Amino acid sequence: MWKADLPKPPVGSFEECARCSKQFTVTKYTLPANPPPGYLCHLCAKASGADPFKKPAAPKKRKPAGERRNIVSFEERRFPTLASMCIDVISKYIDDVEALGDIGSINMDELAKSLARNRSLTPHNAQLFYNVQNTELTMYDATNLDPPAFCTLAVFSPNLTHLRLDYCGRMSDEVINAWSTSLPNLRRLELLGPFLVRAPAWQTFFRSHPTLEGFLIVQSPRFDIECMRVLSESCSGLTELRLKEIGQMSDAFLEHMKILGGHLTYLEISKPGDPNALSEQALVDLMTAIGPSLTHLDLSGNTNITDGFLFQGLKPYMQRLTSLGLADTPELTDAGVAEFFSTWADAAQQAGYDPVPRLSSINMAHNHLLSSDTLVALLKHSGASLTDININGWKATSQEALKSIADNAPELRKLDMGWCREADDWVMQALMEKCSRIEEVKAWGCQRLTERCPRKRNVNIYGVEAQ
Amino acid sequence: MSANTDNKNNDWVRLTSNDGYSFLVRRHVACGSVTLKNMLSAESSFAEAVSNTCHLDERGAVVERLCEYLQYKALYDNSRMKKEEIPDFLERLPPEVAIELLMAADYYEC
Repeated sequence: MWKADLPKPPVGSFEECARCSKQFTVTKYTLPANPPPGYLCHLCAKASGADPFKKPAAPKKRKPAGERRNIVSFEERRFPTLASMCIDVISKYIDDVEALGDIGSINMDELAKSLARNRSLTPHNAQLFYNVQNTELTMYDATNLDPPAFCTLAVFSPNLTHLRLDYCGRMSDEVINAWSTSLPNLRRLELLGPFLVRAPAWQTFFRSHPTLEGFLIVQSPRFDIECMRVLSESCSGLTELRLKEIGQMSDAFLEHMKILGGHLTYLEISKPGDPNALSEQALVDLMTAIGPSLTHLDLSGNTNITDGFLFQGLKPYMQRLTSLGLADTPELTDAGVAEFFSTWADAAQQAGYDPVPRLSSINMAHNHLLSSDTLVALLKHSGASLTDININGWKATSQEALKSIADNAPELRKLDMGWCREADDWVMQALMEKCSRIEEVKAWGCQRLTERCPRKRNVNIYGVEAQ
Repeated sequence: MSANTDNKNNDWVRLTSNDGYSFLVRRHVACGSVTLKNMLSAESSFAEAVSNTCHLDERGAVVERLCEYLQYKALYDNSRMKKEEIPDFLERLPPEVAIELLMAADYYEC
């Protein structure tokens, strides 16, 4: 670049073009050749793309901040659906109870589901569900309910014993504090998404409900070890505990759970904030304390679980287990789990557990090492009682093993065999023919299923790609 | 005229209620409901597809409103109509059936 860097010759003089070697007059618009040296005549300059006459691009004017964010509301005027119109009518007449006809004969639960599907549950039409005599309430989508609405809920339904709220993200401390006094009979609380509630509020709630039997929450980064301690100390009769997707989950939590042994029948500690949070040893220790009374155990998403947990934690201590969830625990091996299921019944019998625990529901999704041996052993152990099987992701399972599901699990109602590559139409046919109670089959990613895949009335088959 | 009604998409289908009422609508009108469309779809081997009849487990009053809505949808749900020209259906919904109709609308997806 420095070699031939001649300054531009004076305007008006003649120069030879670096490309076409023609003579041209230098003007103020003459551009240097790229690569240098030399200058280009006007035609070659334009041919190379650099138009000397083009004005520099004007800076784009930014829209003034006031006009910029024109958020289009989600509810554009689509053609109205019948469901949305019905909801509008109901909301309009909600205060005039007689106008809406005989509510008593209507299945309020179905109504709640319909409103949730349209995300139309508002503080206004939630009033339909408040009733002094109501003891059980389920709201499948409480997204639009704000803290005052939750407090109102308690005021109008003070006799609630069972409460379940899905997507209750807007629930705050003041709500829980209000509920500490306004829902005195509450025995079972199931919440999805109460992430705003802080630790002190939880603790107040536990202390005010010593007879709480069921505490099931999903998603809270604020539920901490103190809360766990207060929970286990105040609510010693707890029978159901679910702490799913809890950010602060750790081994220390498990220590506090041990005193719940004897009463606890339902335990789910799945998908902790850190998949490595719980160590296998701590889980085994926990099982020694609470194992015998458990009927449902779900430890999905705890990646430290290996075959060892099955042999040291489950086999010796589980007496009444009917439902097991160990999804997303990829360290489990085919040989290990197969051996566990083959030897569990005998071990239980020798230990004197009568009857021997048989599973009705098993979820071991996304454990890609598991395969045919495990499936066969599982079916041999619990086939007669199994109603829900989830083997999503057991990619190497053989077609024969899959077909044997139908032979060995006649009571099967729900099956998820997604990504079991060897599943084909024969497997599906066996299921349809031999499982008289089958309701739902999920077969995502099963490439061998064709459009001739057999279907049966009232059975939902999801995921068949060939249509 | 008869050639038209023989057309696969334009023949009459029967929707029956659980208290004995029958409603006849054109097939393409009934297909405004995804569920009914699947039930009547010729490729499925459901009994409804063969007999062109769908039994709805709802009262006659509810099925009547459902048919009314499906007709309304078939007439006005197209991009040619401007919003202002479409008559209001909301005022035709009596509150007495609103709750049952909501659950039916939810099930039949319309």
